[in-house]
Amino acid sequence: MTAEIWFNDFAFYLIAGIILLSALGVIFARRVMHAALCLLPCLLGVAALYGLLGGHLLLAIQILVYVGAITVLILFAVMMLQRIVRGGLLAGSQHLLAGLVGAGMMSGIIMISILLTQFRPLLRPTQPSQFAGDNVRLIGELFLTKYLLPFEAISVVLLVAMVGAIILARKEPEE
Amino acid sequence: MPLSLPPLPPAPEIYLPGIHVGLSHYLLLSAILFGMGLFAVITRRHAVAVLLGIELMLNAANINLVAFSHYLSPHSNFGEMLYNTVLDGQVFALIVIALAACEAAVGLAIILALYRNLGVVNPDEVQSLKW
Repeated sequence: MTAEIWFNDFAFYLIAGIILLSALGVIFARRVMHAALCLLPCLLGVAALYGLLGGHLLLAIQILVYVGAITVLILFAVMMLQRIVRGGLLAGSQHLLAGLVGAGMMSGIIMISILLTQFRPLLRPTQPSQFAGDNVRLIGELFLTKYLLPFEAISVVLLVAMVGAIILARKEPEE
Repeated sequence: MPLSLPPLPPAPEIYLPGIHVGLSHYLLLSAILFGMGLFAVITRRHAVAVLLGIELMLNAANINLVAFSHYLSPHSNFGEMLYNTVLDGQVFALIVIALAACEAAVGLAIILALYRNLGVVNPDEVQSLKW
Protein backbone atom coordinates (compact mmCIF):
# COMPACT_ATOMS: atom_id res chain seq x y z
CA MET A 1 0.00 0.00 0.00
CA THR A 2 2.68 2.49 0.96
CA ALA A 3 4.72 1.46 -2.04
CA GLU A 4 1.74 2.27 -4.24
CA ILE A 5 1.36 5.68 -2.62
CA TRP A 6 5.04 6.46 -3.10
CA PHE A 7 4.86 5.32 -6.70
CA ASN A 8 1.82 7.54 -7.19
CA ASP A 9 3.66 10.55 -5.73
CA PHE A 10 6.75 9.89 -7.78
CA ALA A 11 4.72 9.54 -10.96
CA PHE A 12 2.81 12.75 -10.25
CA TYR A 13 5.92 14.84 -9.64
CA LEU A 14 7.65 13.42 -12.69
CA ILE A 15 4.66 14.10 -14.93
CA ALA A 16 4.14 17.56 -13.44
CA GLY A 17 7.77 18.38 -14.19
CA ILE A 18 7.40 17.23 -17.78
CA ILE A 19 4.19 19.22 -18.23
CA LEU A 20 5.60 22.45 -16.81
CA LEU A 21 8.91 22.22 -18.70
CA SER A 22 7.23 21.61 -22.02
CA ALA A 23 4.70 24.37 -21.29
CA LEU A 24 7.68 26.69 -20.80
CA GLY A 25 8.79 25.62 -24.26
CA VAL A 26 5.34 26.38 -25.64
CA ILE A 27 5.29 29.91 -24.28
CA PHE A 28 8.90 30.87 -25.00
CA ALA A 29 9.97 29.03 -28.16
CA ARG A 30 10.87 31.48 -30.89
CA ARG A 31 9.54 29.48 -33.80
CA VAL A 32 5.89 28.51 -33.97
CA MET A 33 6.88 25.08 -35.18
CA HIS A 34 8.96 24.47 -32.07
CA ALA A 35 6.20 25.75 -29.81
CA ALA A 36 3.70 23.41 -31.44
CA LEU A 37 6.10 20.50 -31.04
CA CYS A 38 6.64 21.41 -27.38
CA LEU A 39 2.90 21.08 -26.92
CA LEU A 40 3.18 17.32 -27.57
CA PRO A 41 4.90 16.21 -24.32
CA CYS A 42 2.65 18.60 -22.43
CA LEU A 43 -0.51 16.95 -23.77
CA LEU A 44 0.94 13.47 -23.24
CA GLY A 45 1.69 14.42 -19.64
CA VAL A 46 -1.87 15.58 -19.12
CA ALA A 47 -3.03 12.23 -20.54
CA ALA A 48 -0.82 10.45 -18.03
CA LEU A 49 -2.38 12.53 -15.25
CA TYR A 50 -5.80 11.34 -16.38
CA GLY A 51 -4.49 7.80 -16.08
CA LEU A 52 -3.30 8.50 -12.52
CA LEU A 53 -6.75 9.89 -11.71
CA GLY A 54 -8.53 6.81 -12.99
CA GLY A 55 -9.83 8.23 -16.25
CA HIS A 56 -8.76 5.56 -18.66
CA LEU A 57 -11.19 6.51 -21.39
CA LEU A 58 -10.08 10.13 -21.05
CA LEU A 59 -6.47 9.04 -21.39
CA ALA A 60 -7.23 7.33 -24.69
CA ILE A 61 -9.37 10.22 -25.94
CA GLN A 62 -6.75 12.77 -24.96
CA ILE A 63 -4.09 10.93 -26.95
CA LEU A 64 -6.41 10.33 -29.91
CA VAL A 65 -7.97 13.78 -30.15
CA TYR A 66 -5.40 16.15 -28.69
CA VAL A 67 -2.13 14.50 -29.61
CA GLY A 68 -3.38 12.79 -32.73
CA ALA A 69 -5.74 15.34 -34.21
CA ILE A 70 -5.35 18.83 -32.78
CA THR A 71 -1.56 18.91 -32.71
CA VAL A 72 -1.36 17.47 -36.19
CA LEU A 73 -3.91 20.05 -37.35
CA ILE A 74 -1.82 22.84 -35.85
CA LEU A 75 1.39 21.49 -37.39
CA PHE A 76 -0.42 21.18 -40.71
CA ALA A 77 -1.58 24.80 -40.51
CA VAL A 78 1.91 25.95 -39.56
CA MET A 79 3.42 24.18 -42.54
CA MET A 80 0.73 25.58 -44.83
CA LEU A 81 1.31 29.11 -43.55
CA GLN A 82 5.05 28.75 -44.01
CA ARG A 83 4.45 28.48 -47.73
CA ILE A 84 2.22 31.54 -47.87
CA VAL A 85 4.09 33.86 -45.55
CA ARG A 86 7.57 34.95 -46.43
CA GLY A 87 10.32 34.93 -43.86
CA GLY A 88 9.25 31.95 -41.81
CA LEU A 89 7.01 31.81 -38.81
CA LEU A 90 8.64 33.61 -35.92
CA ALA A 91 6.59 34.18 -32.83
CA GLY A 92 8.37 36.74 -30.69
CA SER A 93 6.94 38.07 -27.49
CA GLN A 94 5.45 41.44 -26.75
CA HIS A 95 3.81 43.07 -23.74
CA LEU A 96 6.02 40.95 -21.48
CA LEU A 97 5.29 43.05 -18.40
CA ALA A 98 1.55 43.02 -18.96
CA GLY A 99 1.63 39.28 -19.51
CA LEU A 100 3.66 38.69 -16.38
CA VAL A 101 1.41 40.87 -14.23
CA GLY A 102 -1.85 39.57 -15.68
CA ALA A 103 -1.01 35.89 -15.73
CA GLY A 104 0.79 36.11 -12.39
CA MET A 105 -2.16 37.78 -10.70
CA MET A 106 -4.64 35.32 -12.18
CA SER A 107 -2.53 32.32 -11.24
CA GLY A 108 -1.72 33.76 -7.81
CA ILE A 109 -5.35 34.40 -6.94
CA ILE A 110 -6.30 30.86 -7.91
CA MET A 111 -3.41 29.39 -5.92
CA ILE A 112 -4.19 31.47 -2.83
CA SER A 113 -7.82 30.43 -2.93
CA ILE A 114 -6.74 26.78 -3.27
CA LEU A 115 -4.44 27.09 -0.27
CA LEU A 116 -7.17 28.70 1.83
CA THR A 117 -9.69 25.96 1.12
CA GLN A 118 -9.97 22.73 2.99
CA PHE A 119 -11.02 19.93 0.70
CA ARG A 120 -12.57 17.00 2.42
CA PRO A 121 -13.22 13.84 0.43
CA LEU A 122 -16.67 12.39 0.88
CA LEU A 123 -15.45 8.84 0.92
CA ARG A 124 -12.10 7.26 0.54
CA PRO A 125 -11.22 7.03 -3.15
CA THR A 126 -10.65 3.60 -4.49
CA GLN A 127 -7.57 2.65 -6.40
CA PRO A 128 -7.85 3.75 -10.03
CA SER A 129 -7.27 0.29 -11.42
CA GLN A 130 -10.51 -0.99 -9.94
CA PHE A 131 -12.46 1.14 -12.39
CA ALA A 132 -10.39 0.05 -15.33
CA GLY A 133 -12.99 -2.07 -17.04
CA ASP A 134 -16.03 -0.09 -16.05
CA ASN A 135 -14.91 3.39 -16.98
CA VAL A 136 -15.92 3.25 -20.63
CA ARG A 137 -19.28 1.63 -19.99
CA LEU A 138 -20.17 4.11 -17.23
CA ILE A 139 -19.26 7.16 -19.29
CA GLY A 140 -21.19 5.77 -22.24
CA GLU A 141 -24.24 5.25 -20.08
CA LEU A 142 -23.94 8.76 -18.66
CA PHE A 143 -23.70 10.21 -22.17
CA LEU A 144 -26.83 8.41 -23.30
CA THR A 145 -28.96 9.04 -20.22
CA LYS A 146 -28.07 11.94 -17.94
CA TYR A 147 -26.04 13.97 -20.42
CA LEU A 148 -27.98 13.19 -23.57
CA LEU A 149 -28.73 16.83 -24.35
CA PRO A 150 -25.11 18.04 -24.01
CA PHE A 151 -24.08 15.06 -26.10
CA GLU A 152 -26.43 16.00 -28.94
CA ALA A 153 -25.50 19.66 -28.61
CA ILE A 154 -21.81 18.88 -28.89
CA SER A 155 -22.51 16.84 -32.02
CA VAL A 156 -24.23 19.81 -33.64
CA VAL A 157 -21.43 22.11 -32.53
CA LEU A 158 -18.87 19.79 -34.11
CA LEU A 159 -20.79 19.72 -37.36
CA VAL A 160 -21.19 23.51 -37.45
CA ALA A 161 -17.52 24.01 -36.59
CA MET A 162 -16.49 21.65 -39.39
CA VAL A 163 -18.62 23.43 -41.99
CA GLY A 164 -17.50 26.81 -40.71
CA ALA A 165 -13.84 25.86 -40.83
CA ILE A 166 -14.18 24.67 -44.43
CA ILE A 167 -15.98 27.84 -45.49
CA LEU A 168 -13.47 30.08 -43.73
CA ALA A 169 -10.38 28.33 -45.01
CA ARG A 170 -11.61 27.93 -48.59
CA LYS A 171 -10.01 30.06 -51.24
CA GLU A 172 -12.28 32.80 -52.51
CA PRO A 173 -13.41 32.09 -56.07
CA GLU A 174 -11.89 34.46 -58.62
CA GLU A 175 -14.35 37.01 -59.89
CA MET B 1 -17.94 53.66 28.88
CA PRO B 2 -15.35 51.41 27.29
CA LEU B 3 -15.69 50.96 23.64
CA SER B 4 -16.37 47.32 22.84
CA LEU B 5 -15.42 46.16 19.42
CA PRO B 6 -16.82 43.03 17.88
CA PRO B 7 -14.30 40.22 17.87
CA LEU B 8 -12.21 39.91 14.78
CA PRO B 9 -13.01 37.00 12.56
CA PRO B 10 -10.44 34.26 12.88
CA ALA B 11 -7.58 34.51 10.47
CA PRO B 12 -8.02 32.17 7.54
CA GLU B 13 -6.09 28.99 7.86
CA ILE B 14 -3.66 27.96 5.18
CA TYR B 15 -3.80 24.33 4.25
CA LEU B 16 -0.34 23.63 2.95
CA PRO B 17 -0.22 20.57 0.77
CA GLY B 18 1.95 17.77 2.11
CA ILE B 19 4.44 15.70 0.23
CA HIS B 20 1.84 13.08 -0.58
CA VAL B 21 -0.15 13.95 -3.63
CA GLY B 22 -3.69 15.06 -3.00
CA LEU B 23 -6.30 17.22 -4.63
CA SER B 24 -4.38 20.44 -3.88
CA HIS B 25 -1.37 19.27 -5.87
CA TYR B 26 -3.44 18.76 -8.97
CA LEU B 27 -5.21 22.09 -8.49
CA LEU B 28 -1.92 23.94 -8.00
CA LEU B 29 -0.40 22.34 -11.09
CA SER B 30 -3.48 23.31 -13.05
CA ALA B 31 -3.34 26.89 -11.73
CA ILE B 32 0.29 27.21 -12.85
CA LEU B 33 -0.52 25.73 -16.24
CA PHE B 34 -3.46 28.10 -16.65
CA GLY B 35 -1.23 31.06 -15.81
CA MET B 36 1.32 29.95 -18.40
CA GLY B 37 -1.40 29.64 -21.01
CA LEU B 38 -2.70 33.10 -20.18
CA PHE B 39 0.85 34.45 -20.42
CA ALA B 40 1.17 32.94 -23.89
CA VAL B 41 -2.16 34.41 -24.98
CA ILE B 42 -1.15 37.89 -23.81
CA THR B 43 2.42 37.96 -25.01
CA ARG B 44 2.76 35.92 -28.19
CA ARG B 45 2.90 37.85 -31.44
CA HIS B 46 1.74 35.03 -33.65
CA ALA B 47 -1.89 33.97 -33.82
CA VAL B 48 -1.04 30.24 -33.92
CA ALA B 49 1.06 30.62 -30.78
CA VAL B 50 -1.90 32.34 -29.13
CA LEU B 51 -3.97 29.26 -30.02
CA LEU B 52 -1.35 27.07 -28.37
CA GLY B 53 -1.76 29.13 -25.20
CA ILE B 54 -5.52 28.60 -25.33
CA GLU B 55 -4.93 24.85 -25.60
CA LEU B 56 -2.79 25.03 -22.45
CA MET B 57 -5.59 26.81 -20.59
CA LEU B 58 -8.19 24.26 -21.70
CA ASN B 59 -5.97 21.42 -20.51
CA ALA B 60 -5.55 23.12 -17.15
CA ALA B 61 -9.33 23.33 -16.78
CA ASN B 62 -9.63 19.67 -17.72
CA ILE B 63 -7.13 18.60 -15.06
CA ASN B 64 -9.28 20.43 -12.53
CA LEU B 65 -12.45 18.66 -13.62
CA VAL B 66 -10.93 15.19 -13.52
CA ALA B 67 -9.15 15.80 -10.21
CA PHE B 68 -12.33 17.01 -8.54
CA SER B 69 -14.18 14.05 -9.98
CA HIS B 70 -11.63 11.69 -8.51
CA TYR B 71 -11.08 13.19 -5.09
CA LEU B 72 -14.37 14.78 -4.08
CA SER B 73 -17.00 12.40 -5.35
CA PRO B 74 -18.22 9.31 -3.53
CA HIS B 75 -16.61 6.14 -4.65
CA SER B 76 -17.68 2.65 -3.88
CA ASN B 77 -15.40 -0.34 -3.69
CA PHE B 78 -18.23 -2.76 -4.10
CA GLY B 79 -21.83 -2.48 -5.30
CA GLU B 80 -22.73 -0.25 -8.25
CA MET B 81 -24.98 2.25 -6.52
CA LEU B 82 -22.62 5.17 -6.43
CA TYR B 83 -21.08 4.79 -9.84
CA ASN B 84 -23.46 7.17 -11.54
CA THR B 85 -22.33 10.15 -9.55
CA VAL B 86 -18.65 9.44 -9.85
CA LEU B 87 -17.79 10.10 -13.45
CA ASP B 88 -19.60 13.37 -14.13
CA GLY B 89 -16.34 15.30 -14.10
CA GLN B 90 -14.87 13.02 -16.73
CA VAL B 91 -17.94 13.51 -18.92
CA PHE B 92 -17.46 17.26 -18.72
CA ALA B 93 -13.79 16.84 -19.56
CA LEU B 94 -14.76 14.89 -22.68
CA ILE B 95 -17.10 17.69 -23.73
CA VAL B 96 -14.31 20.20 -23.19
CA ILE B 97 -12.00 18.11 -25.39
CA ALA B 98 -14.60 18.09 -28.18
CA LEU B 99 -15.02 21.85 -27.88
CA ALA B 100 -11.25 22.27 -27.99
CA ALA B 101 -11.19 20.37 -31.28
CA CYS B 102 -13.85 22.71 -32.70
CA GLU B 103 -11.98 25.72 -31.42
CA ALA B 104 -8.70 24.63 -32.97
CA ALA B 105 -10.30 23.93 -36.36
CA VAL B 106 -12.22 27.21 -36.53
CA GLY B 107 -9.33 29.19 -35.06
CA LEU B 108 -6.84 27.87 -37.60
CA ALA B 109 -9.30 28.52 -40.43
CA ILE B 110 -9.73 32.11 -39.25
CA ILE B 111 -5.96 32.56 -39.08
CA LEU B 112 -5.62 31.18 -42.63
CA ALA B 113 -8.29 33.59 -43.87
CA LEU B 114 -6.56 36.47 -42.10
CA TYR B 115 -3.28 35.66 -43.80
CA ARG B 116 -4.95 35.44 -47.20
CA ASN B 117 -6.96 38.64 -46.94
CA LEU B 118 -4.83 40.92 -44.80
CA GLY B 119 -1.39 39.31 -44.77
CA VAL B 120 -1.13 39.89 -41.05
CA VAL B 121 0.73 37.79 -38.50
CA ASN B 122 0.24 39.59 -35.24
CA PRO B 123 -3.29 39.53 -33.82
CA ASP B 124 -2.69 43.08 -32.57
CA GLU B 125 -2.43 44.28 -36.16
CA VAL B 126 -5.85 43.04 -37.17
CA GLN B 127 -7.75 46.29 -36.91
CA SER B 128 -9.94 46.59 -39.94
CA LEU B 129 -12.86 47.33 -37.68
CA LYS B 130 -10.89 49.92 -35.77
CA TRP B 131 -10.21 53.50 -36.88
